[in-house]
Amino acid sequence: MDDGRIPGLRAFAARVAGVFGSRKRDSDFDEEVQAHLQLLADRFAAQGMSREDAAAAARRQFGNTTMLQEDRRELRTLTSVEDLGRDVRYALRSLGRSRAFTAVAIATLGLGIGASTAIFSVIDNVLLEPFPYKDPGRMVFLRIRDTARGQEGERQGYTSNEFLEFAEQNHVFEGVIAASDDVVLYKQGEGVEQLYGADVTPGTFEFFGMPALYGRVTQPADYQPGAPPVFVMRHKTWMERFNGDPGVLNKTFVLNGRARTLIGIMPPRFGWYEADVLIPESPVRGVSTGFAGLPARWFLLGRLKPGVSKAQAAADATVIANHLARINPQDYPAHFQVLVKRLGDTVVGRFESTLYTILAAVGLLLLIGCGNVANLMLARATSREKEFALRAVLGAGRARLVRLLLVESLVLAISGAALGVLVAWGGLKLIVAAMPQNLIPAESVIELNTPVMVFTLVVAVLTAVIFGLAPALQAARRDLNDPLRDSGKGVINGFRTGRMRDTVVVMEVAVSLTLLIGAGLLMRSFVALREVHLGLQADHVFETQLPLPADRYKTAAHVRGFFQPLLARVKAIPGVVDATESSALPPYGGMDSKMEISGKSHEEEWHTQLQNVSEGYFRVLRIPFKMGRAFREAEINDARKVAVVNETFVSAFLCGEDPIGRRIKLAGLETLADPVSEPWFEIVGVVADVTNQGLERPVEPEVWVPYTVTGSGEQILLVRTQQTPMALMNEVHQAVWATDAGVALAFPGALEDRISQSLYAGPRFGFLLMTIFGCLGLILVTVGVYSVLAYATARKTHEIGIRMALGAERADVFRLVIRAGLRLVTTGVAIGLIVSLLLGRAIEAELWRGVKPYDPATLAGTTVLLLGTAALACWIPAKRAARVDPMVALRYE
Amino acid sequence: MTDAKKSEVLQGTLDLMILKTLHALGPQHGFGIARRIEQVSRDVLQLNEGTVYTSLLRLLQQRWIAAEWGTSENNRRAKFYSITARGEKQLAVETENWQRISGVVGRVLRLEEES
Repeated sequence: MDDGRIPGLRAFAARVAGVFGSRKRDSDFDEEVQAHLQLLADRFAAQGMSREDAAAAARRQFGNTTMLQEDRRELRTLTSVEDLGRDVRYALRSLGRSRAFTAVAIATLGLGIGASTAIFSVIDNVLLEPFPYKDPGRMVFLRIRDTARGQEGERQGYTSNEFLEFAEQNHVFEGVIAASDDVVLYKQGEGVEQLYGADVTPGTFEFFGMPALYGRVTQPADYQPGAPPVFVMRHKTWMERFNGDPGVLNKTFVLNGRARTLIGIMPPRFGWYEADVLIPESPVRGVSTGFAGLPARWFLLGRLKPGVSKAQAAADATVIANHLARINPQDYPAHFQVLVKRLGDTVVGRFESTLYTILAAVGLLLLIGCGNVANLMLARATSREKEFALRAVLGAGRARLVRLLLVESLVLAISGAALGVLVAWGGLKLIVAAMPQNLIPAESVIELNTPVMVFTLVVAVLTAVIFGLAPALQAARRDLNDPLRDSGKGVINGFRTGRMRDTVVVMEVAVSLTLLIGAGLLMRSFVALREVHLGLQADHVFETQLPLPADRYKTAAHVRGFFQPLLARVKAIPGVVDATESSALPPYGGMDSKMEISGKSHEEEWHTQLQNVSEGYFRVLRIPFKMGRAFREAEINDARKVAVVNETFVSAFLCGEDPIGRRIKLAGLETLADPVSEPWFEIVGVVADVTNQGLERPVEPEVWVPYTVTGSGEQILLVRTQQTPMALMNEVHQAVWATDAGVALAFPGALEDRISQSLYAGPRFGFLLMTIFGCLGLILVTVGVYSVLAYATARKTHEIGIRMALGAERADVFRLVIRAGLRLVTTGVAIGLIVSLLLGRAIEAELWRGVKPYDPATLAGTTVLLLGTAALACWIPAKRAARVDPMVALRYE
Repeated sequence: MTDAKKSEVLQGTLDLMILKTLHALGPQHGFGIARRIEQVSRDVLQLNEGTVYTSLLRLLQQRWIAAEWGTSENNRRAKFYSITARGEKQLAVETENWQRISGVVGRVLRLEEES
């Protein structure tokens, strides 16, 4: 009858409910039973029994109440749940007794889980899914590579004609859009502020598939000639400049002298072109001048049609490029190749490999962590063999024993997991703070990645459970008497610590060494990077870009009319040593220009970096002269066609000849909005090489000419100061506005800070994280080696006692333990060295030139560090073993 | 182990008898049910009256009976059990089942006697 066609559902629900409020039910039941007994007894008494007899007879007839209670409890509740509660309490007590073990296990799990989750979250948000746009995977851009020049000869900016050609003639894109730099000046209070703007082509916002957060994005009508001028603002700019004030929407701003209405604010993750403001602009054939009088360059972005590969797109674009090259041969190298790159490649570049290196490191760390936990669990379970045998003898079922261990492992694992979540959360905050902002896409928002967190949690929990359980299963299968009879400390095996534990320790040491070597190499690389000679003194230099309003500054005379008085004013500020104009910011050179030298014929095209400066440039940056002289003030003021070149220029083009007095033609100056006709310049001086391609690439030939020869190009002010450069910010600002109130300071700052930000931040981030992980790994390994040896020593106390009783010296015992430990460590080190050498090629891309993946100093240093730490870990248990009193050890049995 | 099996059979029949008792007599407390079964079975069944309560709990869990606190004939607080609609249906099914099975068992036993 209890077969129940729905055997359990209803009963099960009742049982679940029964877990709660069981006390109340128990007392109810007692009352019921008592009443029943009373009635029975009354009945027997009425039949003439004495009170005691009646009560006894009643109890007899009723049966065993205790057993009844048990039956009821079994029926009423889920016994396993009640037992679970007991098991958890027991596990907590038992873990509480071995605090060191518990703390180490939980900390190890937490660190492993936390660190790997945090790092993978960064990778996912920065590299894998950084863009919030529609189908970002199909967004690509084109680069034209001069096959003769390699990476140096790549171009990704196109004229209006080229853009329209690519957009209209291709067969592989669903849509093509483009953006072009547009420095925007707008009136703000007293003076003028500068924004970094972008002209965007029709269809841009539809292309990205993102609506505006407030207001609207541009519509086709906004691009029509005569349409009211409008623009759209980026969320970050809106927050920083306008404190997120919704009142600015639909207000009119004067941008570059033209009134434009702000029609929309984009959502926070919209970061196309990293532009503060986006201005609708239709590229027109034949219009070739962009901002600052430089040739207009459009950066193209296309969305591949579904199923079109990058190779197909490249082939199609090559056809168009070949056509364009026939029309405008001067814009195309003799031999070129069209590269198709994904949108993500724009920003991340080199930082990508740094992140992947760190991911590998954190994976190794997780491996060490799991190894440690496995070892700890194994050691603990093995040392409790006796306890379990005893429990089994006393009647605990095998399932019950396994469950006990399982619960214990789970309690550990869950505590570790909880810690891991905290570590991941906090670690991510730290990483985001330390992360070089300019190296990751503006669109990426770094947040905790739930699937990854779940994955690492599962891995760590499984490790704990499997290794906690394995010995229990083994113990449960065993003959019960075995462990009880065996002291467990026999001498047959010699001084063994258990093959499984040995393997884990060797693995840990090997992995840890690999990590340490990686960290060491990155550190060496970073130090080497810091020691690179820039060729200039970057300290105490204030820098600011001064974008001049294009409507009033068109010719060289206009520009000179601004800078001559400005430089005089700035030099008069107390604390200023010197000041200069420049068209480029170190450690980068100026524009690229084709070049010829009179009297020299050559097959291939010659290119040089070209920079416009005033006479103070070499003094401000402390660039030494090797030959000839600097510009004279009069030469600058009269816009004489004189030039200074660097040593690389001389060695590349004028090998062994005297450069002074040679005449060179800088063809690039002819293509400017304010062109220089007959751009033949006379070399008057040669300076030492200055980094002009960033730190990573070798110096290229470079030419400096007076800034007064053209009104085109960027305008930058460099000031050498006596005190902290930023202290002069206000005075310089006043000087600029005193010269022209319509000019804004763009990106003012200290040269040294910017160089350190943009060049060192990425490598420093990499080496910092690697070092942290390396140290964590080292600590974990030390704990691992220590715990295994300490455990083995404790187990062998009996054996040691016998050895000592038989005449072994304390020193012998000490050596015995140390040798056992170091045998494991050296095996691990050997494997680790081999693995590091094999993996060397993987990290080579991360290393600064000159640092080899098999750098002997790094290998030796890290090996010694690891051996030293491991020896320390062996030393403590060895010392303890040597202190064993043979009498105590023997009597203990 | 064997004990458990024996009691299971007994429990099954006990459940049926309790349902039938409640069906016939209306709401009863545990003592009353025990008396009724004692009265009907006379000396055939040796009943540990405590097991009645285990059985009652099982029936309660299946919602075949309902329980309510009330006052017994000697003015004590007592829990009264009554059969539910679901219990009535179950009783009908189980009664038929029982009759069929006991019929089959009876026939089998008779066959053995004849052979």
